Amino acid sequence: MSIVYINILLAFVTSLLGLLIYRSHLMSSLLCLEGMMLSLFIMMTVVILNNHFTLASMAPIILLVFAACEAALGLSLLVMVSNTYGTDYVQNLNLLQC
Amino acid sequence: MNLFNSLTMTAMFILLLPIIMTSTQMYKSSLYPSYVKTTTSYAFAIVMIPALMFIYSGQEAIISNWHWMTVQTLKLSMSFKLDYFSIMFMPVALFVTRSIMEFSIWYMHADPYINRFFKYLLMFLITMIILVTANNLFQLFVGWEGVGIMSFLLIGWWYGRTDANTAALQAVLYNRIGDVGFILAMAWFLTNSNTWEFQQIFATKHESLNTPLMGLLLAATGKSAQFGLHPWLPSAMEGPTPVSALLHSSTMVVAGVFLLIRFHPLMEQSKTAQTLTLCLGAITTLFTAICALTQNDIKKIIAFSTSSQLGLMIVTIGINQPYLAFLHICTHAFFKAMLFMCSGSIIHSLNDEQDIRKMGGLFKSMPFTTTALIVGSLALTGMPFLTGFYSKDLIIETASTSHTNAWALLMTLIATSLTAAYSTRIMFFTLLEQPRFNSLSPINENNPLLINSIKHLLIGSIFAGYLISHNIPPTTTPQTTMPHYLKLIALMATITGFVLALELSLVTKNLKLNPASNMFKFSNLLGYFPTIIHRSLPLANLTMSQKSASTLLDLIWLENVLPKSISYFQMKSSTIVSNQKGLIKLYFLSFMITLTISLLLLNYHE
Repeated sequence: MSIVYINILLAFVTSLLGLLIYRSHLMSSLLCLEGMMLSLFIMMTVVILNNHFTLASMAPIILLVFAACEAALGLSLLVMVSNTYGTDYVQNLNLLQC
Repeated sequence: MNLFNSLTMTAMFILLLPIIMTSTQMYKSSLYPSYVKTTTSYAFAIVMIPALMFIYSGQEAIISNWHWMTVQTLKLSMSFKLDYFSIMFMPVALFVTRSIMEFSIWYMHADPYINRFFKYLLMFLITMIILVTANNLFQLFVGWEGVGIMSFLLIGWWYGRTDANTAALQAVLYNRIGDVGFILAMAWFLTNSNTWEFQQIFATKHESLNTPLMGLLLAATGKSAQFGLHPWLPSAMEGPTPVSALLHSSTMVVAGVFLLIRFHPLMEQSKTAQTLTLCLGAITTLFTAICALTQNDIKKIIAFSTSSQLGLMIVTIGINQPYLAFLHICTHAFFKAMLFMCSGSIIHSLNDEQDIRKMGGLFKSMPFTTTALIVGSLALTGMPFLTGFYSKDLIIETASTSHTNAWALLMTLIATSLTAAYSTRIMFFTLLEQPRFNSLSPINENNPLLINSIKHLLIGSIFAGYLISHNIPPTTTPQTTMPHYLKLIALMATITGFVLALELSLVTKNLKLNPASNMFKFSNLLGYFPTIIHRSLPLANLTMSQKSASTLLDLIWLENVLPKSISYFQMKSSTIVSNQKGLIKLYFLSFMITLTISLLLLNYHE
């Protein structure tokens, strides 16, 4: 693989690690989720453009749309948690009850 | 080419003059009431000339003045029909109105807005004349609505009183229900005869006339206070006594009967309509006569008497005698207005006391009013050769000798004897026995205005029946031969009513007062009809609208079906299904460790 692909893949893996390992704030995992989406988007675009795979040119746009939706969903969950507890500390989520 | 048309138009224009003068100084002066009264008497004198021309030569006319508009094929114009009915009614109405205006100068002299009162009375008279001289249904409707509005304004004359406002509103609402029938008839005539002119309606042949005739019957029920739409008439006694005398005894309430009389060529063709009219009139006359027996307000008794006589007129239309009904309208106007004016005189003399239980012994203190009251009551009950006899006796005779519904005839006869009964009751309680009123009220009937007005109507009550019935052109032939018991049945019923009522009144002087029996309560509370209908119908309407609009549409369909049910369902199911503890960091870390170990293993195996 060329160095470009490895670079972007490394960015993806770093974001994934950041998503899975975090200390207290829920916000940091959401930010890393955004980073994952960003790197996926770049990876997809570069591959499609380099291989002249024009039929799949739609795919990055659609990925962007779904990324926006999931970001909104994640933020609404964050707001719900923050409304109840005042902060977004993960320690607070020990009793999942509506 | 004589002056028939011009004189009628002149008379109508003269009546408009005081209304035009309201923007001038005359309206603000204290001479305006007598100005209006003199205007009315001049109009009466002028309109007598075409009336006498008609009596002499039978000349009728249709005056078509002004073409308003043509809507596709419907031509609307202002046209006046001067035939037997309108020409004979106009002098009677103007005579009675002149007397009532003279009376109300005396009665309302302490009222600061007396000029406005006279303006309203005159506007009422003008709209009533528009109604009776209308040649097309549109103009008749203009007059119809006009008298309704003036009735509202005049009943609520003392608008500071809640009861007066309620009564005025009641009058308007009940009339409105009748107007629905009127508009139904108008729409039917528009679509089936393509016109609203009477001549064309009567000339075309239709298959089934039941729809418009039912509509017209509903209109007459509303306007003439027949059973079902009757409570507004006794409530309308909240207005001043001249208003009761003019509107609710002689002129406005006969508008419904007049409408049915105008359509008599159509009524002759439909047996269903005649039977319905007959039964409706019979129920009305008996029911209101029963209600009149136990009322304690003198004006209410006379109001129920009016209602009963209106039922009698409707019965007459039901046996296909429109000309007799019209004769009864004309004669009834005289003595009923006079009865109201006598009651006004008594009320004013006793310092606004209207309860007959607190009157008494006025026979010697108010001789003139006593005379007028007794003559009026006798004319009402149909004493031979007074005014009422010429119309009422003829009606009973014709009803007894025609192929009619026997039950309706029996009701009418019972109502005739009850008429005598409640008339005796009025006379007994107000005129005879010991006085029961406060002793300091100045009993004075010595005013020339009062005496002149009652005197004119007194002469009318005695002679008008004879004069009118011997001078009108011949119409339907009355039945000339009948068995002697049928000839005398009206008189016998009346005498029975008189004697019974007098005996009972004299006997009850010495008895102890019993608590009211059920029949008494039924009669006193107007058959419970207002109590039930005025509460239950609005309650049903409001409940239905609250249930359907607010509860059903808003609360259920818009709120609960999708949004709230989805959220409720999701919350319930998530609380049931989830049994997690929320150790997020642990779960994420285990995911990462699994991923790392699997990558390492799969990369470095052989």
